[in-house]
Amino acid sequence: MKITQEFVAAGLRNARYVTNERVETAVFLALALEKPLLIEGPAGAGKTEVAKVLAAMLGTELVRLQCYEGLDEARALYEWNYQKQLLRLQADEAQGLGWEQLSQHIFSREYLLERPLLKAISSPHKAVLLIDEIDKSDEEFEAFLLELLSDFQISIPELGTIRARHRPVVVLTSNRARELSEALRRRCLHLFIDFPGIEQERRILELKIPDLDSALAAAAARFVNSLRKLELAKQPSISETLDWVRALVELGVKEIDLPAVRATLGLLLKHEADRALAESKSAALLQRAR
Amino acid sequence: MREAVIGFINRLRECGVRISIAESLDAANAVAAAGLQRGRMREALAASLIKDEADRPVFDREFDAFFSAGGKRQSQPRRGQSWKGMTGQHGRRSESPGQRPPIKPKAPPSSQSERRPAMQEQPGGKDAVGDQQREVEEKAGLRESQRDKDRAAATAARNRDAELRPFSAYTDLDYEQALKALEPLRRRFRVRLGRRMRAARRGRIDIRRTIRASIQRGGALVDLRLRHRRPRHIDLLLLADISGSVRYASNLMLGLAAGARECFRTVHSFVYVDHLAEASLENGFLNMTPLLDLYARSDFGRVLAELVHTRRHLLNRATLVVILGDGRNNRRPARADLLRQVRRLCRAVVWLNPEEIDRWGTGDSAIAAYAREVDELRACRNLRELAQSLTAVRVAGSNLNQ
Repeated sequence: MKITQEFVAAGLRNARYVTNERVETAVFLALALEKPLLIEGPAGAGKTEVAKVLAAMLGTELVRLQCYEGLDEARALYEWNYQKQLLRLQADEAQGLGWEQLSQHIFSREYLLERPLLKAISSPHKAVLLIDEIDKSDEEFEAFLLELLSDFQISIPELGTIRARHRPVVVLTSNRARELSEALRRRCLHLFIDFPGIEQERRILELKIPDLDSALAAAAARFVNSLRKLELAKQPSISETLDWVRALVELGVKEIDLPAVRATLGLLLKHEADRALAESKSAALLQRAR
Repeated sequence: MREAVIGFINRLRECGVRISIAESLDAANAVAAAGLQRGRMREALAASLIKDEADRPVFDREFDAFFSAGGKRQSQPRRGQSWKGMTGQHGRRSESPGQRPPIKPKAPPSSQSERRPAMQEQPGGKDAVGDQQREVEEKAGLRESQRDKDRAAATAARNRDAELRPFSAYTDLDYEQALKALEPLRRRFRVRLGRRMRAARRGRIDIRRTIRASIQRGGALVDLRLRHRRPRHIDLLLLADISGSVRYASNLMLGLAAGARECFRTVHSFVYVDHLAEASLENGFLNMTPLLDLYARSDFGRVLAELVHTRRHLLNRATLVVILGDGRNNRRPARADLLRQVRRLCRAVVWLNPEEIDRWGTGDSAIAAYAREVDELRACRNLRELAQSLTAVRVAGSNLNQ
C-alpha cells in the first residue's frame, strides 16, 4: 500500500474526521517517515480521535496506553503473572520436577502479561500505538519511553529481546500539564490541534448529527465559538458541543434563543462560575451568533 | 530545494527557534515526502521543526518571507527585525546554566536574494493556489478564527518569553508581563508538586501486613503490601530580599509560593532589606510589617541576627528555609556563623540566587561565605528557573532524612 497524502486525506474523510491541511500533512508524514507524532492542544479538541481514526483508516488494531502518575514499566510493558506462576510451581513440585524444568515452565510467554507497549511491538500487524496524556506520566517514564521509541525493542531478561516485526505507528498526546522534555519533542513530529474554527465546527456538527438543520448548526457553531472567547475555567470541547446540539435537536429547538440557552447551558459549561459568567453574557453572545 | 530548507532553518535559528540537526534532517525528509505544494510544504516543515506552538507565529512569518515567490519583498525591510533584536536581548531558551544566549546577531548577508530563493517549480502557479486558498478562507470566515489562534499563540509566546527573561534585565514592564505569566506557572507548579508528593508516597514493603495477607493463601507471598509513608510535615520559611537589585525576583517568588500553600503545613514569608519584616500578599500586592525602607542598604547579617533572636520559635526540625537574595551585603559583616546556626536548627536551608552566575562573589557579594553554610545554592535567573527551584526544594525537603 503506497501512502500518499491524498490517501491520508481521503482516509480521514472516510472515517468522518473533519480535518485541515495541517492535520493531514502531519499524519501523512508520521506514516511516511515512520516517526512518532506528538499531538498537543486543549482538552477535547480531538487529539485522541486522530489515533482512533488512524487505526480505522489503516484497518489495524489500536493499542492504547493511558498514562497516569505513577505509571511504571510493569503496567506499561509487561509483568510476570505471579499468581499463575505460583500455582504452576506448586503443581510441579507435587510431581517432583527439578529447577531446570520448573524455570522453563514458569518463564515462558504463557506466564507473561502483555501490557500495551509489548503488545504493540509484538503485534503481527502494524499496530497504532496511542500513548495518551503523556504529560500525566512521570519524567522517569518519559525517559524510558524515549529509549523504546528509538529502537522498538524490548529485552526481557528471562526470554531475550523482542524486536518489533512492524514498527507501530506511534501517536502521543499531551495536554501540557507539564513540559515534556526537549529530547522527546526532538524525536517526534509535532502537531497542534486547537479548537476548530466556526466553519470547521459546523461541518463536524453536520457530519455527526445527520438530521440537523444547517442554519441551527451554523448558529450553534458561532455561539460556541464566541463562548470560547470568554475567560472560562474550562472551554467547551467538541464533544460537549455535540452533546449540546443533540440536546437542542431533542428538545425540538428550531432557533437558538435565550430560554433555550438557559435551559441547556449546563451541557456546555460544567463549572458554576463559568455558567454564571456565560449566562450574564448570553444575550450579547446570541446577538453575535445570529 | 535542500539548500532552501537549510537556509530557512538557519533563518529560524536566528529568530531563536532551537532546531537540532536531527530535526533538520527530518525537515528535509518531510519536504521530500510531502512535496512542494506550498500549503503542504509549510505544514511539513512546521510538523518537523516547530515543537512548541508558541513558535508557530514566528514560523509562519518567516515562511512567508522566505519562500515568497520570486523574491518579491527583497527591498522591503524585514518585518522581523525589531522582534529579532528583542529576542536577542531576552536570550530566549538560554535557561541552561552558563549558556550564552543562542542568538548571535549575524552580519547581514551580502545579497538578500541569495538567502531567499523563490520556489523554483512554477512559482506563478503556486502563488495562484495560495491566492485561491486565501479567497476561499476569507469567504468561509476562517480568517477571524485564525486571528484568534494567532492571538492565543502570541500570548503563549509572550508568557514563555517572560518566563525566560533574566531577572537582571527586568524593567517594570517586564515585571507586569511576568505577573501575567505567573498564574499559569503557579497552576503548573501546584499540579507538578502535588504529583511529585503523591509519587513519593509509594513506599517500601510492609513485612507484617504482607505476611498476614499471605496466610489466606497458605503462606505463599502473593499479595505484596506496601508500607504507607507518613506525609512529612514541612513548614516553609521564606526570606526574600526586596532591595532594588532583586525585588522583582522576590515578589515573584512570594507570589509563586502563595499558590502552593497547601503543600506545606505552614508558610511564613519574610522580606528584608536591612531589617526583617513579616510579609503577606494580598491581591498581588506586598504588605509588610513593619514597613521597610526599600532604599536602605541591605544587610543580611543583621537580618539573620533578628531572625535568630526574635523568630527562634519558627526554626525547628520541620522548617525548610528558602532564602532569595544576591548576598550583596554592602561590605557589612556577613555573619555566616548565624546562618550555620539556622541550618543546625532547621531541616534544610536553600539559597536561591537570581544573579547571573559569573557575577557571584564579585564586588560586595558575600555569597561565597553563605554558600558554605547552606544545604543548596541554586541559580534562579528567570521565572522558569525560579519555579523549578521551588519544586525541587519542596520535593527534596520531603525526602531529606534527618
